[in-house]
Amino acid sequence: MGIFDSLIYGFRVVLDPSNLLSCGVGVLVGTLVGVLPGIGPIGAIALLLPATFKATPTSSIIMLAGIYYGAMYGGSTTSILVNIPGETASVVTCLDGYQMARQGRAGPALGIAAWGSFIAGTLSVGGLMIFANPLAEAALRFGPPEYFALMCTGLIILTYLTQGSMLKALMMGLVGLIIGNAGLDIFTSLPRFTFGITELEDGIGIIPLAMGLFGISEVLINIEQTLKKDIFQTHVRHLWPSLKDWADSKWAIVRGTILGFFLGVLPGGGGVLASFVSYGVEKKVSRHPEKFGKGAIEGVAGPETANNAATGGNLIPLLSLGIPLNPTMALLFSALIVHGIQPGPLFIKSNPEVFWGLVASMYLGNALLLLLNLPLIGIWVQVLKVPYRILFPLILLLCVIGVYSVNNSTFDLVLMILFGVVGYLMRKFAYESAPLILALVLGPMLEKALRQSLLMSKGSFMIFISRPISGVTLGIAFLLLLSNVLPFIKKHRQAYRKFEA
Amino acid sequence: MNIYDRGSSLFWLFFSFFVFIESLHLGIGTLRNPGMGFLAFGASGLLGILSLILLLQAIFKKAEIHIQPIFAGILWKRVIFILVALLIYSQALPLGGYLITTFFLMGSLFWIVEQRKIGWSLILSFLTTLITYFVFSKWLNCQFPDGLLGF
Repeated sequence: MGIFDSLIYGFRVVLDPSNLLSCGVGVLVGTLVGVLPGIGPIGAIALLLPATFKATPTSSIIMLAGIYYGAMYGGSTTSILVNIPGETASVVTCLDGYQMARQGRAGPALGIAAWGSFIAGTLSVGGLMIFANPLAEAALRFGPPEYFALMCTGLIILTYLTQGSMLKALMMGLVGLIIGNAGLDIFTSLPRFTFGITELEDGIGIIPLAMGLFGISEVLINIEQTLKKDIFQTHVRHLWPSLKDWADSKWAIVRGTILGFFLGVLPGGGGVLASFVSYGVEKKVSRHPEKFGKGAIEGVAGPETANNAATGGNLIPLLSLGIPLNPTMALLFSALIVHGIQPGPLFIKSNPEVFWGLVASMYLGNALLLLLNLPLIGIWVQVLKVPYRILFPLILLLCVIGVYSVNNSTFDLVLMILFGVVGYLMRKFAYESAPLILALVLGPMLEKALRQSLLMSKGSFMIFISRPISGVTLGIAFLLLLSNVLPFIKKHRQAYRKFEA
Repeated sequence: MNIYDRGSSLFWLFFSFFVFIESLHLGIGTLRNPGMGFLAFGASGLLGILSLILLLQAIFKKAEIHIQPIFAGILWKRVIFILVALLIYSQALPLGGYLITTFFLMGSLFWIVEQRKIGWSLILSFLTTLITYFVFSKWLNCQFPDGLLGF
């Protein structure tokens, strides 16, 4: 079947009423999550994952992916109207989006963000269609050393891209690997790090961990201070950008789409990286860089386009290689596993209904999101006015329900609370949670690939360097580490020389 | 952040030491045939080294003049109240059942912020308990415990 026939098949799948409903619910929840500051797509996917257990794998993945790309759309609304990013990928949109709103141009800012997102989201699904299959075929030749190298590099790039200290991010990655080690050993099936607790034999679940680190800790951080929320009072008018706005934004949209898509494919990449890089590029190529930060429409169009383009790119390594390369993809990976589907090189061939259904749903979902984010913008503005004192008990209850319904286990609830405290302290002490979550999911796969590689090579680590793909991939990771360490060494050497002189 | 980094790096140093010893007990095997403590051994060793680097950085870095206390001005009562309420809920859920325990949990969470409006908190908690019960239990077929009273 060619791509076109497969896409028609995908549309037939997605037009099934249950899949259609899943797509609608996914993008609606995604927009809501994006609009509401505090609960991001990771928390929302973790929250709704148990609710998909009764659904078919296709419906589930359509809904969960809808939450992800829906959140990218919704995130811009709060950034533009309130100067609070709904989710991390929209942080940079605050810079010019809010300034535009202050100048009475909230409508065009929201309009260009929605249109840019639609164009990028649609084109990136095209990229997913074109690149996923060839990569999956190439991945059939990958062995354990290549998988180990890719996972290591993904983790290192994620730590490299974190906003805070890379040292702390690396530490969190290692903590994630250690926590992921708890449970039965993959080779001997003997328990390790379980301390006699039967519930730990299945390992530490990603849902209690994600809900604790993201959901509970977020509530604790918000609740520890007097609750105040200033809503920027504005009338949203003229949502259709003017011809001048389109002329100013067109190249930003094109560049954002290309950049976002390819940055999304990279290990560790995602909407956050894409939006920041796009903003930097737009400022650099602009004839009026001084306008950035003061309400330049390119500063909204570029990042909002890029973070949506990254969603299609993100799915490629997950579906073709079976490797989730950022925390949101790690949750989608868990969702597929729960439904008995193994993402990887054989995924597209073995599950054409899921893959092509997902692709078609993303086309449909992007169109739905345009409708949700433009004519219905007034509803989202009202949602922003819900006081946090009402919102936080609901977030906590949804966390509790989400975690409990995975295994009907109160032990998982205790784990969630424990990780909530850990997440709260991590935020206080400036440690990031994303590397920990990704490492927890990659841990068992990484260990399997490492031990298989060493068995293959009879104990020689040269297997990782002598094979071209793993050698090059690990080389990149090493260079990234080195680029972070070298300035530190240089600085201290200079200080030492000064001291000697 | 220096002073806080000292404390947190020491914590991770002890954590890595504990995991390191545990992984030795589990057996790290050989390079030809890695054992089940192999990855934890390597990861904890690296974590120990990185924690030590962070500790040394924190010790030798110039002291910050204006250290913003990270726990200053925190409404501790609220934070602790929420954690305790969730902990009690997790233990009471199988005994009290979803409807009763959730009603009390939500009532207390709505009440903690606006302590004067008890009636309002009770109405909100009643509504949220009922709505979530119908959505998750009846519509999405999530299984909640019935509790000793059978509902």
